[in-house]
Amino acid sequence: MSEEPARPEFAGENRTRSAKESAIKWFLFVCAALSVFVTLAIVATLLFDAIEFFTRVSPVAFFTGTSWSPKIGESFGVLPLVSNTLAVTVLSALVAIPVGTASAAYLSEYATDRTRSVLKPALEVLAGIPTVVYGFFALVYVTPALQAVGVPVSTFNLLSASLMVGVMIIPMVSSLSEDAMSAVPDSLRQGAYGLGATKFEVTTTVVIPAAVSGIFSSFILALSRAIGETMIVVVAAGMSPQLFPSPFSSIQPMTSAMVQLSTSDLAGGTAAYYALFAIGLTLFVITFSMNVASNWVASRYREEYE
Amino acid sequence: MATERSTREESWYGTGEGVNQLRGRLFKWGCLGAMLFGIAMVFVLLAYVALDAIRPLTADPGWHLTFFLALVAPTTALVGYYGLRDRRSGWVGATATALPAFCLLIGSGIALLLVEVFRPIEWFGSTLALLLAVGAIYAHRRFRSDPVAFEPTLVAVAALVFALVGVPGAVPSLSRILQNAPLALNHATMMLYSFAAPVAILAGWVVARRRESRRDGAVAVALTLVVAVFAVFSAPAVGIDDYLLIVLSLSVAVPSALYVGGVVRERQHLAGLALPVVVYAGMFVGAAAVEAFGFAGPEAWLDWQFLTNSHSRFAEEAGIYPALVGSIMMMLVIVVSAFPVGVAAAVYLEEYAPDTGRLGWVVSLIETNIANLAGVPSVVYGLLGLALFIRYAGMNTGSVIVGGFTVGLLILPIVIISAQEAIRAVPSSMRQASYGMGATKWQTVRNVVLPEALPGILTGNILAFGRAIGETAPLLMIGAAAVVFSPPGGFTEKFSAMPRQIFAWSHEPSAEFRYGVLAAGVVTLLVVLLSMNAAAILIRNKYQRRS
Repeated sequence: MSEEPARPEFAGENRTRSAKESAIKWFLFVCAALSVFVTLAIVATLLFDAIEFFTRVSPVAFFTGTSWSPKIGESFGVLPLVSNTLAVTVLSALVAIPVGTASAAYLSEYATDRTRSVLKPALEVLAGIPTVVYGFFALVYVTPALQAVGVPVSTFNLLSASLMVGVMIIPMVSSLSEDAMSAVPDSLRQGAYGLGATKFEVTTTVVIPAAVSGIFSSFILALSRAIGETMIVVVAAGMSPQLFPSPFSSIQPMTSAMVQLSTSDLAGGTAAYYALFAIGLTLFVITFSMNVASNWVASRYREEYE
Repeated sequence: MATERSTREESWYGTGEGVNQLRGRLFKWGCLGAMLFGIAMVFVLLAYVALDAIRPLTADPGWHLTFFLALVAPTTALVGYYGLRDRRSGWVGATATALPAFCLLIGSGIALLLVEVFRPIEWFGSTLALLLAVGAIYAHRRFRSDPVAFEPTLVAVAALVFALVGVPGAVPSLSRILQNAPLALNHATMMLYSFAAPVAILAGWVVARRRESRRDGAVAVALTLVVAVFAVFSAPAVGIDDYLLIVLSLSVAVPSALYVGGVVRERQHLAGLALPVVVYAGMFVGAAAVEAFGFAGPEAWLDWQFLTNSHSRFAEEAGIYPALVGSIMMMLVIVVSAFPVGVAAAVYLEEYAPDTGRLGWVVSLIETNIANLAGVPSVVYGLLGLALFIRYAGMNTGSVIVGGFTVGLLILPIVIISAQEAIRAVPSSMRQASYGMGATKWQTVRNVVLPEALPGILTGNILAFGRAIGETAPLLMIGAAAVVFSPPGGFTEKFSAMPRQIFAWSHEPSAEFRYGVLAAGVVTLLVVLLSMNAAAILIRNKYQRRS
């Protein structure tokens, strides 16, 4: 590389050639640096328009207001949206975290190579299905099924949307947790077996505690995905924000409020238009900090094995 | 093991009671059940969608019986035989059966591009211009043996730009000149020259290389051309435009023939080739018998009419065609924009990036950034596209190119990360060998690293594009149309994509839309998506086994 000081002059070496090499190198660098530009552009666009919004509506009113109706009455309290996002996240976590962790434990500790080679791709199919299709499932099949069983849900409701969000993020929890569990060195397992532990005891008292940082970081990442999930809640959860949501009634999380704002005909300069970016900024900050936290947990609490 | 009951009295670990296995067993089966819960739930829902979209129960019993006897029973018997006796042949057979169907899907995509985006004359002009440009570059390399600095690169860029773009407002491009030239050619002849000929040459090159025989290559070229000409003559009987039939037949025939030829040449697992024969013959026999006896098929929502119509107020007449074309055009923009940039970024990060110094700090910033970008919600990318492309760059709201760029930015981190993994998997001994031969860094990357990493890069990219096809939220943000009645005529026009159309249908109050048209749209989207995923998995398996 270019740092090497005294380099023998090979036959092919000449000035044109090294100029070309470095031109290519800088071109490739620009492509890689594009990602930084994208991040900066996201932050800049969200920030500028959010600031524009906050000059019209005070941040205090935005972050502490308890009613959201951007068009009628122009009240911009984001708390109902945030509480509904939280509700979706918690309910979907109740589905995804136990199922995902158990699947990871099975894949990593119990499954033979052959079973794993069948089950793992089958599980990954879940992550490949578009979210609008999950929304369709929730609206057209899950809600009527719940109604048939006797759960008093309305046509659009929190429960079936969260169920589907949960199913959607199972593969994320399971594959990241499985990576963490497979990374636990075999010597630990052998040691536990040598002490007379059963497979169950090895899995629950050795492997899972040893992999806990990876498992925990997969939870955070999956929750961040659930917070940012849009189409399932837009299709199946309805459009009525409530401060204290009931699982059986219609709600509106942040993402779905954004979609509603952008698909209705908004004039370019209104407060409602800029509110779109204020919610976007809130969402971005929450998910971004969760992603950073997930990385931090994974690296900070990783147990190092030789 | 500790789980066995001790036979010796008062063994060292206790009183010889043994270990209770119940808890462990419950845990194991609980884990398995949890894992199957998600899979089973989604597969049941998929089965429901398929039932709603196809409605098999509306068909005559005779129709079911005919297809059971002609198609299902023989195929099941054959698959059972493979499962019990000859698994490898079973895989060969599955690939040989799936390949034509998959190629038909790709071929239909290309045909749609030719109908809606390029017309045959434009395609012909562009191909010819490209050919002339490549010829000029080759001639320049040949006759100027000692070029000055950057001369070959400049000549190449200039030739390509002049051939395809021209100087806007001043000099028309070569392809435009060729399009306007008075040519006495019909569409079929143009496609023969500009589509069949390149495909034939490519097929001949592959065969000649694989068999190390120029004669076999020439035979392959001739056979391909014969298929193309045959397509022209059989077009009136099939009822498809002749130039489209050339595209469709070649895109199915050439890859299938190459695969079958490879299997036959290896003389292993030949039994697998029985599967495609049984499946496709069963379909034809079944269709012929149904026609002969006059049985009515299922009144499916997902039928030819659904694929070729645009949206309608009446559920029976609603179709997905404009959204399908919109999705394909958007994919074209994504492939052209995100793929090269993503792979270039991955090459830089894996091959060039320094670890230390000021640039090293920038590089580690970039890497952290890419990881975090992959976790940004897609709806936020939609806002980015809205602000960046529509407000600042002034592009049209909801146009194909804005949609493609926005979704392209969204999948860029995934493309980079997967390409990085593929490049990292290339053993460094290969790089050392290349340097040992006196190659420069870029020569090593271009001639050794990229070809070796290509299957991995392709796999990751196909998966990323699968994600891109299903993205809806960014399209809503940039204002893609809910309903368009004709496909977009160019890349700057308003468009709708398949998931956007599905979302629009989910607002329709009537049950016919909700359970019928919506289900048909979902099945169309999932067929495209799952076949892309299957292709990615096939590529991965094929190249994993080799290394």
